[in-house]
Amino acid sequence: MKTIFTFSIVLATSFGALAKDAADSVIRVASTLQSYNPSQPWEKSSPVKRRALAAVLPNSQVLTTAEMVTNANFIQLESANGEHQIPARVVAVDYEANLALLTPNSEDGIKTLGQFNGLEIAPSAHLGDSVDIVQIEDNGMTLITEGRIQSAEVVSSFVPGHFFLNYEVKASMQSAANSFTVPVLKDDKLLGLLTSYSAKDQLVDIISPEIIEAFLKDAKDGEYQGFPSLGIGTTRTTDIHFRDWLKLSSDKGGLYVTRVLPNSAAALAGINKGDVLTSINGKPLDRRGYYQANGYGQLFWSHLIRGSQPIGSTIKLGLLRDGKPLEVSATLKRAPEGIIPSHSYDKAPRFLVKGGIVFQELSKSYLRAFGDEWVTRAPLNLLDALNHPEDYEKGRKRLVFISAVIPTPATLGYESLNSVIVEQVNGQAIEDLPSLIAAFKLSTENGIHTLKLDSQPDTIYLDSKVSDTVDQSLLARGLPSLSRETE
Amino acid sequence: MKVLFTCAAALIGSLSAQQAVTPAVVQDHHPLTESASQAAIYKSVVRIEVASQVPDYKTPWNAGRFSGGTGTGFLIGKNQFLTNAHVVSNARRVLITMHGSSRKHQARVVHVAHDCDLALLELVDFAPFADLAYLEIGTIPKLESEVRVIGYPMGGERISVTRGVVSRIDFRPYAHSRADSHLVVQIDAAINPGNSGGPVLQAGKVAGVAFQGLTQADNTGYMIPTPVIKRFLKDIEDGSYDSYAELGVYDFALFNPAMRKVYNLNPNDSGVLVSSVTTGSSSSGTVKAGDILTAIDGYSVDSSGNITIAGERVNMNEIIERKFAGDKVNLEFTRDGKNFSEEISLKPFPPASMYSVQYGKKPRYLIQGGLVLQPLNRNLYAAHKLNNPRVRRLYSEYVKEGLYKERKDILILTRVLDDPINSALSGYVGSAVKSINGVDVTDIQQAHALLNPTEPTEFFEILLDGLDRPLILPNKGLVEANQRISENYGIPKANNLSN
Repeated sequence: MKTIFTFSIVLATSFGALAKDAADSVIRVASTLQSYNPSQPWEKSSPVKRRALAAVLPNSQVLTTAEMVTNANFIQLESANGEHQIPARVVAVDYEANLALLTPNSEDGIKTLGQFNGLEIAPSAHLGDSVDIVQIEDNGMTLITEGRIQSAEVVSSFVPGHFFLNYEVKASMQSAANSFTVPVLKDDKLLGLLTSYSAKDQLVDIISPEIIEAFLKDAKDGEYQGFPSLGIGTTRTTDIHFRDWLKLSSDKGGLYVTRVLPNSAAALAGINKGDVLTSINGKPLDRRGYYQANGYGQLFWSHLIRGSQPIGSTIKLGLLRDGKPLEVSATLKRAPEGIIPSHSYDKAPRFLVKGGIVFQELSKSYLRAFGDEWVTRAPLNLLDALNHPEDYEKGRKRLVFISAVIPTPATLGYESLNSVIVEQVNGQAIEDLPSLIAAFKLSTENGIHTLKLDSQPDTIYLDSKVSDTVDQSLLARGLPSLSRETE
Repeated sequence: MKVLFTCAAALIGSLSAQQAVTPAVVQDHHPLTESASQAAIYKSVVRIEVASQVPDYKTPWNAGRFSGGTGTGFLIGKNQFLTNAHVVSNARRVLITMHGSSRKHQARVVHVAHDCDLALLELVDFAPFADLAYLEIGTIPKLESEVRVIGYPMGGERISVTRGVVSRIDFRPYAHSRADSHLVVQIDAAINPGNSGGPVLQAGKVAGVAFQGLTQADNTGYMIPTPVIKRFLKDIEDGSYDSYAELGVYDFALFNPAMRKVYNLNPNDSGVLVSSVTTGSSSSGTVKAGDILTAIDGYSVDSSGNITIAGERVNMNEIIERKFAGDKVNLEFTRDGKNFSEEISLKPFPPASMYSVQYGKKPRYLIQGGLVLQPLNRNLYAAHKLNNPRVRRLYSEYVKEGLYKERKDILILTRVLDDPINSALSGYVGSAVKSINGVDVTDIQQAHALLNPTEPTEFFEILLDGLDRPLILPNKGLVEANQRISENYGIPKANNLSN
């Protein structure tokens, strides 16, 4: 009994020492997020508040997750003891990697934050290393939970389909106030930010220091570019009959290239659909696309592109084409966005209301707004465009569609037209929303706008005078504006 | 009272025997009391007991599920019992019981029309029923008039009579096929399971066949009105049911003032916009998208596609409804300001069966190397979760975009029966097969031939719609694998290519 008692005192001492340091390096973030209403793009949905923790860095900067500041109207940093409340702004944000760099709005704030103990970024850790997860309790006390790095994995934490290196940490955390985006320290340096915690498995996902380091490096010059990507779709070569057909010998791994985005790094390097990607910078890929990473075990190949390589760097890709090996060099760049952006965070959707018809540009965010079941619930033709943009790319920068029809005298009989893709207006091909706005400004014969649609009927008409009157009355009814030309 | 009733019943028995040749209702020919005529009618309303075998589209090689149910039918002529198609769908044994009797008489289905939910049955031995009166098919009842629904609801063995009022006459979907809409009369009497196929009577004549209710509304029943019944009876006169013909015109209501201005229409001008015409349908080649359809067989078509027949405003397709394949229809339409009047010949449109539930057919399928391929149709859609957007698109555009011309069957990979030969392919279930060895798939027979060539190549390359890699089946070891799969999974037959 006595022994145990002594032991716990020793523990408490070390705990106190650590807590004191950590409290100076961790801050609360409170943000108010507000996104645009997907079906009524002229207005914003009701605001949501979020609170989380963030890591204070040197130079009065604060690191948190992109999730915390996406569509934020207002961001405030709050010290653990409640003494300081510092309004802040976003310096750089990467939605894909789920990271955001903040700094105070005012000189005073910068000064205040400068008194904090800015954390350095820890070097890469090793599997089995122990780490400290830092939480702040309601009363301002720091709470440290010790955990152990169990594995390194390339996972997606915010924008689906974008994978980055994370550590999985085994830890038994307790719930405390604002336990989100919790900083994780190793040897008093910032190792990563917690993005998810599974109470059942007692597993924590944290964004790795490599990704944080690359993010901060990119953000340094004030012009954030983002992580590069190769621009290919791939599938495994585990199927033995598929391998035989590809003439892949049993000692070879590799990924089968199913798709190459036009104008992507891969396309410019000459990679073709049907090639097998066998190695990146000399590191052979196995049949599932994993490679042997130093100290981390098996990692998914995308880390070789989206981990340490900045935009503009050149990498060597080993390929197998028609059974013959070949090597190409690719200069890394951002993947082209395509006609349907994968997200529209912090962007105001472009729209036009004409006579009651609401036009918008299609984005993945729009389709996601159909709820958890959006993959089956969203309109079929728009889902098809999302899955096969190549069928719609010709002559388009964005896909303009009718998102709603407000019943007005001008839209009488058109109420059922919904989610219809717009091809032409007044004889002009519609490549994006500004071109739609321009097309409606053209003078028309007999005062009637002609709209060609990808639907039945393929042509509808709008009386320009009636729709102008309707537009005025829509403004009078409280629509703040009838169009938004810039995002 | 009791004596009177028995007496009247006896009277009817002898009378209807006399009139057995020409179907007629007793009341018209003999001054019977109302209760007597009712008793005669009750005798002619029979209980139908069906044992059925429902094919399983999930495991198409299996025999299906054995089940059964009861319904109602009624005598309309010598050994002719009318009932609903859904009462006798997939039937393996049909038994008919007379009201007040417990004896079951064996019957068989002579004609079945799934698109209008009607069927005609006959008894193996009609003799015990020979004395019964035939119910006469009357006319459409008037709104607010009273009708009686007679049947054996909820499986009871005694007749049940419900009174109701005609509350609406409308063009509505028929639930049985899920793809057809015809004239329907709505009454405020509940139609319950077992009522199906029973007569709805007015003034001693059949005003309709009770056939469906609403689950979300009480006291609402629907009956198949007499025009649909008469059409069915006429269609089968030649010994086979040919189903409905289709116009093949999609219309769009011309309400919009700007639209009317472009088409030079005055506020009172008639006509509906043709938004598309199904290629290969009756009107294809005559009417085009962008035409204004102004009249059909002389009936003026209004801006929402309705016509007025006998004072009732109904969908213009009601004209087609009452006709048969081979009949002529006159279409009046305007194109580029010019008026046209053309006669077209109606024909049925088999590709439309993609959307109607199939009954009494053994599902088609094809298995090669454990890959189960089945042609897409409504039954398949219901049996498998087909969420793949490309498949959903192929389904919805099959008729509208004329896909059926090049791709009669859209084959779906519905299942992978796991085996070393296909172990990596189960993730692709639910996609449509686009091509096999570079040849576009057109129908199940052709796909079967492509997968069973006389001189096979080393690999079968199977491309799926919307997927950027081929599925590979090696030819080597395929015969052994098929053997193994059929034994392990209990598949008696590797394919069923036609039904």
